[in-house]
Amino acid sequence: MVNRRLLINDFKANRLVTASTSIFMAASALLLGLSILLFGTLTSAIDSLMAKALTPDFIQMHTGTIDEERIARFSEKRSDVEALQISRFLNLQNSQVSVGGTSLVDSTQDNGLSVQSPLFDFLIDLDNEAVHPAPGEVYVPVAYIREYGLKVGDLMRIGSETLTIAGFIRDSQMNAMMASSKRFLVSEADYERFKPLGSEEYLIEFRLAEGSDVNAFATAYEDAGLPGNGPTITRTLIMMMNALSDGMMILVILLVSVVVLFISMLSIRYMILTRLEKDKREIGLLKAVGIARREIRGLYFSKYLLLSAVGGLVGIGAAMLIAKPLGAQIRDLYGDGGNMGPIYALMILGALVVEGIILLSVYRTLGRMERMSAVQALYGRGDFGKRKNLYLPIGIITAAAVFMILVPWNIGSTLASPEFVTYMGVGGNSRIRIDIRQTDRIGATAHAVVEELERDERVLDHAVMQTGSYRSELPDGSSYNLLIEQGDHERFPVRYIEGGYPRHAGEIALSVLNASELDLRIGDPIRVFIDVGTDRPVSVPFTVSGIYSDVTNGGKTAKISPTGLDDRTPIMWSIIYVALADERLIDEWIEEYRRIDDAIKAVDIADYIDGLYGQTIRTIRKTAILTVIAASAILFVVLLLLLRLVIWRERSDNSLKKALGFTTREIKKTYLKKTLAYLLPGMAVGILLGLLPGQSLVGAFIGLMGAHGFRFIIDPIGVFATIPLVIAAAAMAATLIGLEEVGRIHAYECLGPQSGDY
Amino acid sequence: MKELLTVRNLSKGKILKAISFELREGEMVAVMGPSGSGKSTLLYNVSGMDRADGGEVRFDGTEIVGLSEDEKARLRLHKMGFVFQQMNVLANLNLIDNIVLPAMHAMKNRKRELHERARALMDDFGIGDLAERRVNEVSGGQLQRACICRSLMMEPEIIFADEPTGALNRSAAADVIETFLKINRKGTTVLMVTHDGKNAAVCDRILYLLDGEIRGELKLGKHTHDDAKEREIRTLRWLEEMGW
Repeated sequence: MVNRRLLINDFKANRLVTASTSIFMAASALLLGLSILLFGTLTSAIDSLMAKALTPDFIQMHTGTIDEERIARFSEKRSDVEALQISRFLNLQNSQVSVGGTSLVDSTQDNGLSVQSPLFDFLIDLDNEAVHPAPGEVYVPVAYIREYGLKVGDLMRIGSETLTIAGFIRDSQMNAMMASSKRFLVSEADYERFKPLGSEEYLIEFRLAEGSDVNAFATAYEDAGLPGNGPTITRTLIMMMNALSDGMMILVILLVSVVVLFISMLSIRYMILTRLEKDKREIGLLKAVGIARREIRGLYFSKYLLLSAVGGLVGIGAAMLIAKPLGAQIRDLYGDGGNMGPIYALMILGALVVEGIILLSVYRTLGRMERMSAVQALYGRGDFGKRKNLYLPIGIITAAAVFMILVPWNIGSTLASPEFVTYMGVGGNSRIRIDIRQTDRIGATAHAVVEELERDERVLDHAVMQTGSYRSELPDGSSYNLLIEQGDHERFPVRYIEGGYPRHAGEIALSVLNASELDLRIGDPIRVFIDVGTDRPVSVPFTVSGIYSDVTNGGKTAKISPTGLDDRTPIMWSIIYVALADERLIDEWIEEYRRIDDAIKAVDIADYIDGLYGQTIRTIRKTAILTVIAASAILFVVLLLLLRLVIWRERSDNSLKKALGFTTREIKKTYLKKTLAYLLPGMAVGILLGLLPGQSLVGAFIGLMGAHGFRFIIDPIGVFATIPLVIAAAAMAATLIGLEEVGRIHAYECLGPQSGDY
Repeated sequence: MKELLTVRNLSKGKILKAISFELREGEMVAVMGPSGSGKSTLLYNVSGMDRADGGEVRFDGTEIVGLSEDEKARLRLHKMGFVFQQMNVLANLNLIDNIVLPAMHAMKNRKRELHERARALMDDFGIGDLAERRVNEVSGGQLQRACICRSLMMEPEIIFADEPTGALNRSAAADVIETFLKINRKGTTVLMVTHDGKNAAVCDRILYLLDGEIRGELKLGKHTHDDAKEREIRTLRWLEEMGW
């Protein structure tokens, strides 16, 4: 009873501290709970979609002729293959396709038709069923519902023909906007009907036995010399692409939750220390009358236990509320993950761990009171350790808040920057990318475009890249198929992690994945076989000149400069990078060039990024803005609190100063100066932390998707002006409000008994 | 002698009820009365530390009840000195820094001059060799004398002392009172709240406060060391009459 009364009185007397403590505890539980909940929602949704769709473990894309029997024989001989399936994908020209009245001409995706797979890799409708469209019907990728505002009953046009949209499908392989192809599901009859309008590609798909080594399988496939005219994709890569767009947001929330936990622990610790200082005499009295030290500690601890229980519950509740809107995109794209029970359990466990960590720190801090003897405490002599500098946490927390804001902000600006494409394996400095694919005359079409480009005075610069599939051989005799891009790699360079672009004949640059798979370093030799029209290809020696970051084509590519040989290896596709003298002309220019040939896909690089990363960028931006608000709010509360603690602690000194003739304004000024002395360095440290370790942190994550050597591309106005200004504004507001307390200190207080609550 | 402090009908809540009195330049006056009679409150209100509810306090020609907090702070800094029972000092400063603190604030950029003045005062009051000591390294009497030095730094016209010997032992108290007498002889006006009849007996006049009203006044005249005993006896008798 007495304890309860003590608790209630304590809460009433210290509303601000009680409220702040429980807010910190709630916020920590909320953020970790939210990241667990979203992560759980995402992974379980992806898992359940992939399980339902029976996603392949290994996919070899291929254009050209195909010997299905040879593949089947290879497959039968291998014990790790559970099932083989060769699916077809009819790649359409975007200019010929429209959905719901909107043309796909601006789409950066390769859009095409497919029929429902017979064995696995099913395309699943929104009711989680593998759907079989009737003739005249089409099922559209779910990502396009929002993108083009589609509904069932809308029409899809291909050339002069129309199909009715009968529903939407989730494609476990290509659902993410980051996967650059989209499959529209039609009936067998319609597929055959539209065949003349597109070019056919094959997806040679394998389901492997559980626990099989996909890399070993991939090598075996290549060694067998089976069709490999196109990128290879593994289940891991698919999962990564699926997880990435929303995963980035979850990563940021997780990071923020760690920072907030840190801030909470720090703030609560300082509140306790100040509190103990204030209660020194009472603690001494309790000790003097013979209450055990452990009991006194327990008395204080029970208060925090109660606050943490309340905070934890509020945090979990809020996490569940907020997860709904934040998880909407996940549910749209991947469906419901099904059983959320274990995820909720995990979230509760996470909240318990967070509260546990905070309580542990509280318990340790409370241990300080045991250091002082009853007499010392009674006479207010001893100290609970060194008297704490309360400005230091202001600096530390400012740094943490700035760091917390900068990471998502920098991710956003990096992804949105035109330079970022260089990490993706796309040439930098260009503003337009022209793809020439799906035609028998790639070479001729490219030639025609180049001639046009050379005549065009608006064009500042351009470079042609031609990709073909080449057999290569390492000194130990093992051979690999390499997708090699030939051209001038100097003018629109990608991001080289090591070394540089192939400058001369005989030099080759490899993507990070290829370099690690082939175990090659700068200066290592490799032979490439080039078809010069004779029976036997010519074996040409190359030296590795550089290793670059690439995520296109499964991340496995290579680059050489023109060999000077009569290379008759078929060109799979051609890419032309273009820079215009006047960038304002881009749209008009692109429109004009598209008209040259249907096989030309010309896109503004900005649109290209938007197509691949738009979704991610938008989520990150949203998260960044929320983080700015959250961090400013946290800083505001913490600063207000700490300042009030400082002022409370120095209340009698301040009162004395007033008695001696200092004005309120003068006392405030000294506080303001001290606060700024910690706030400004705190901001500087925060910016440094956000830029350097923040970069490595995000770099490590982005490295997982194949973009290596990651550097933030900073938006200087945001980093050096907007964010510091917002933080400074929040801090100043808190400081000015906090300093109002100085005005409430009276000159005569120092003369009577100590008073005042904080 | 001109009037330095004139108080008319000063009231504060239920503690002070229409108090009127005046202090002339160079006077040393004690305020006595039982606990709760309003002595300290009177001191806070006439020095502008607290805001009176009504009445008039004229200090050196300026009516101070209506002044703003900042204006009153200025007045305290430049024209008044304070000595408190608790010997309030800033614990993280040494003795001399505590002494120069308010003066430094009033006269920036004159650090050396102020330190010299502080040292002279400290020498004068017998604590010259304690300048660099921390406040917890000196005795109560020494600390109180340091507080008196602080109150004198700006050469105030008046010193308000609230039970300046309340926390001191007999011999330390005697030293402190001697210090006040010395100050007063040099011309500084002193208004001292005290519980101790012996202390009060050295003053020119004693005001007796009860239930927020001045109930009596004893005029003793300027103190000389020769008549100390006689003054003490007169004071104690008078206090007895007042119901002390």
